[in-house]
Amino acid sequence: MVRGKLTLGPAAPWLLLALGSLPAGGGTGTATETLSAVLNPAGALTTPATATLTTSSHTFQSFAATFPVSYQVRTTPGGSGGKITLQVTNDFSPTGGPTAASGALTYVCGGANLGTACSGTQTASTTTSTPVLTVPASACTGGGGACSSQNPNSMNLTFTLTDNPVYPTGTYSANITFTISAT
Amino acid sequence: MTKKRTLIILACALLAMAGLAQAQSATGTTTLSVTVGPEASLTVTNGTTTLATAGTVFNAYTGTTNLAYKIRTTKSTGSGTVVLEVTTDFAGAGGPSVGTPPTAGDALTYTCTVTGTGTACSAQTASHSATTPVVNFGAGAGSSTSTAAVAWSLTNDPVYATGTYTATTTFTIAST
Repeated sequence: MVRGKLTLGPAAPWLLLALGSLPAGGGTGTATETLSAVLNPAGALTTPATATLTTSSHTFQSFAATFPVSYQVRTTPGGSGGKITLQVTNDFSPTGGPTAASGALTYVCGGANLGTACSGTQTASTTTSTPVLTVPASACTGGGGACSSQNPNSMNLTFTLTDNPVYPTGTYSANITFTISAT
Repeated sequence: MTKKRTLIILACALLAMAGLAQAQSATGTTTLSVTVGPEASLTVTNGTTTLATAGTVFNAYTGTTNLAYKIRTTKSTGSGTVVLEVTTDFAGAGGPSVGTPPTAGDALTYTCTVTGTGTACSAQTASHSATTPVVNFGAGAGSSTSTAAVAWSLTNDPVYATGTYTATTTFTIAST
């Protein structure tokens, strides 16, 4: 499992503590404490380290693989929301076989329990990111209420690779990088 | 007064940092893997081939069956074939027969031509009990657009009773 996550680091400057002054000497007194935190928009996601495209036939039906994507996200009320995108960062290798650059790798999105999964069939690209999920403003993972009841949230992707007879036999691998962003 | 000023400064600092909040992002990577193996598929373009004769001097009945196929054989070690077999012989008493011809020498023969990948067969005699070759493929073959044609020739034996006779031929493509 590969996991990318943004957290509030120990040196995060947005957690500030202000202590009021205490009276010197005996007697009674009051102390006022102002504890404030600014929670920035954040996103984290988890995808399988590997996924295998398979075909159930030997008559050039496409290869396919379905796998889940887990994510946590928090978007701000005034922001533009969040999104998950993907890009083929390393095309299939060794060369001579299938390539995403040729448009042979497509995917569909579904099952998102927070946000809206991409619609229709998307063609994965080696040069640009393509949509997976959009998250509206003021969205958050977990806890129920204004946030989702699930934590983490999840969705699934089904990739399809055309099975062209001219592909030489062999095993080919490509890397897909998913990016979650939130504002 | 000092306390109030401190709080005001803190509040201003917090507001300023909130304004600085930027889009946050994170990434994850999945390796997609696929194993491409030998495969093959075949379509008979004309499902029914009518054998006909030209003239009335017992010229052979002829006709052509067209095939379209896709093939992928394993690099270095693979191979492939298209074969055919007369799986249902001509029916009807007194007519032609592939399995039991009424006269020695009567036969359903064919020749092959290939456009694209593969080596066409030489002249063959179709069989009702065994497959016979149509196309052969070597290692590392790969094609999605190849076609083949099987040109039939059926003896026109005068002893055949008049009528219409039908046989079924099954084509099989295989690859390793």
